[in-house]
Amino acid sequence: MATNAIDQTRRMLSLVTYLRERPGAHVSDVARAFGITEDELISDLDVLPLCGTSFRGGDLLDIDTDGDRIWWHNPDDVAAPLRLAADEATALLVAARAVSTLPGLRESDRQALLRATAKLEAAAGENAGASARLSVTFESEGGVFADVDRAISERRRLWLRYYSPARDELTEREVDPIRLFAVGHTYMEAWCYHSEARRTFRLDRVAEIKILDEPSSPPEIELRDLSEGLVQPAAEDPEVVVEVGPGGRWVAEYYPHDSADELPDGGLRITLRTPDPTSLRRLALRLGGDGHIVSPTDLADSARQAARVALAAYDEHDKNPGGSYDRQEQGR
Amino acid sequence: MAIAKAERLMNLALCLLGTRRPLSKRELRESIEAYLEAGSDDSFNRMFERDKDDLRELGLVIETVENLDGEVGYLARRDSNRLPPITIDAEEAAALGLAAKVWQQARLAGAASGALQKLRAAGLPEDVDPYEAHSALEPRIPVHEASFEPLMLACRDRRPVVFDYRKATAARPEQRHVEPWALECWRGHWYLAGWDRDRGAERVFRLSRITGKVRARAGKFTVPVPDVVTVRETVAGWAGESADRSALIRLRSGAGYPLRAKAARIRAAGEGWDELEIPYGHGLDAWLVEFGPDVVVLEPAELRADVVDRLRAVAKG
Repeated sequence: MATNAIDQTRRMLSLVTYLRERPGAHVSDVARAFGITEDELISDLDVLPLCGTSFRGGDLLDIDTDGDRIWWHNPDDVAAPLRLAADEATALLVAARAVSTLPGLRESDRQALLRATAKLEAAAGENAGASARLSVTFESEGGVFADVDRAISERRRLWLRYYSPARDELTEREVDPIRLFAVGHTYMEAWCYHSEARRTFRLDRVAEIKILDEPSSPPEIELRDLSEGLVQPAAEDPEVVVEVGPGGRWVAEYYPHDSADELPDGGLRITLRTPDPTSLRRLALRLGGDGHIVSPTDLADSARQAARVALAAYDEHDKNPGGSYDRQEQGR
Repeated sequence: MAIAKAERLMNLALCLLGTRRPLSKRELRESIEAYLEAGSDDSFNRMFERDKDDLRELGLVIETVENLDGEVGYLARRDSNRLPPITIDAEEAAALGLAAKVWQQARLAGAASGALQKLRAAGLPEDVDPYEAHSALEPRIPVHEASFEPLMLACRDRRPVVFDYRKATAARPEQRHVEPWALECWRGHWYLAGWDRDRGAERVFRLSRITGKVRARAGKFTVPVPDVVTVRETVAGWAGESADRSALIRLRSGAGYPLRAKAARIRAAGEGWDELEIPYGHGLDAWLVEFGPDVVVLEPAELRADVVDRLRAVAKG
């Protein structure tokens, strides 16, 4: 949690209200209720006795703690629950609306969220209005999501047919699901027995899914830190250099990269790392005249070769426009 | 040692909430230690104005009234600052707990926890620990763009802005004057919808293409804000999702699963090929080229020509 002065002030105001109702509250309980560490709470409790309720000097909050329990010796009625600020209402309402649109959310959770949203809107009053200026849509595949969610709660193994765009192929895998998360798209983190490693699966690339009878027992692994971004290339991954013109600048938006240097024509020279450079052949083909792979050269060659083979099919077809692809055959 | 800002803000909040009559700046200065130590009148005045703004950001309604002596005074009335009665059950509390965790942007993450803490102080049930994952789901809203926060505030306060914007295919950024209406996150990217004063039309901007700082401009909006602002439809159009025609392609058996998933009709064409009818919208040519020799476009002729052009560019590249 952020520990800036604004957040701390906001928290201390709520804390005062909370403590008034709970004489002798335990430090651990209060920290949990406020979603902060015990150290953060203790630092708040160090500040509170320096704060006063009246403009006449000397009238300070007599709040102290022995490190285990918290006592307020001169409770005051200044501590009524405070209304929600515009940003607070926005942050909570936008998030609640976004989560409630997740197609795979449990129905009971969705209903609870919708009820809570309506109550919050009423309580926030006019401060709820600004929340309409921010919205978030999560993408997720409803049916697949529900199966993964169920497999996680019932601790069961999953069978998948999964599409890998890098190789343009479907592979069958058995996985032990660990968690679901949504960052733009919805993903499952799982232990994959096909690759004997932790893998992240994008749910819209799951072509088929089945819940197996085998129990799930993923090895104990540390969860990925999602705050660093989803794709985290390793230092030892091979380097790929791509040069794009102005029309290919989007590459820098979609591919995490080490550097993107401006070129005189308004294009970019982008250096990125990937464990599997052949997966970038698709990118080279997609770029067309808007860019090309500089290195590795065998990757550039393979894209050129693929384009030549593809073109040959058009030449062949144009020489023989009837043939087996005659429009007449369509109705068959 | 200078007195911490949180302590100063807390004292000001308690003074303003605790008083029944407006307090003058002079009275506040005398009763808050940090203000006594502030030094000159100028630095006290600046500090006091900033602190009042900060408390208003936290939701405090601070009234400015002239007292009997004609002196300006301040107070935060209890009734206008109290949270209206709200009863949230344990299930709803858990759901809100999940929602409060989704922001990965500091300001909104702080505001969401702050909201939850205010509700907690007002009696939000604790028997279900909302900080524990309730469902297996962990939704996160990513915000990587530096322009997000100033634009969010400008949308909230309805302030015109100016920023440099580089269109997807443009080499150089161009300055845009915009009346910002709404921000929307779709597929993990943030977009701004608003009135583009230079174009005299509604426009959607992708935040990652804003270069440099977003600056707020003085003055009001010149165009009324529509009741419904549609960002997603516009962006979906860019992404080629608003297909109104269809195309016929040959696809190698076993290849191109995503094309098959979108196909309206698939039939075996023999010799290891299938024939597919797929929606034809903006950007289909670039997507089909990704499949290299596994795709051959049959019709329409225009799409076929686009794909051949792209392949030629790669082949000679």
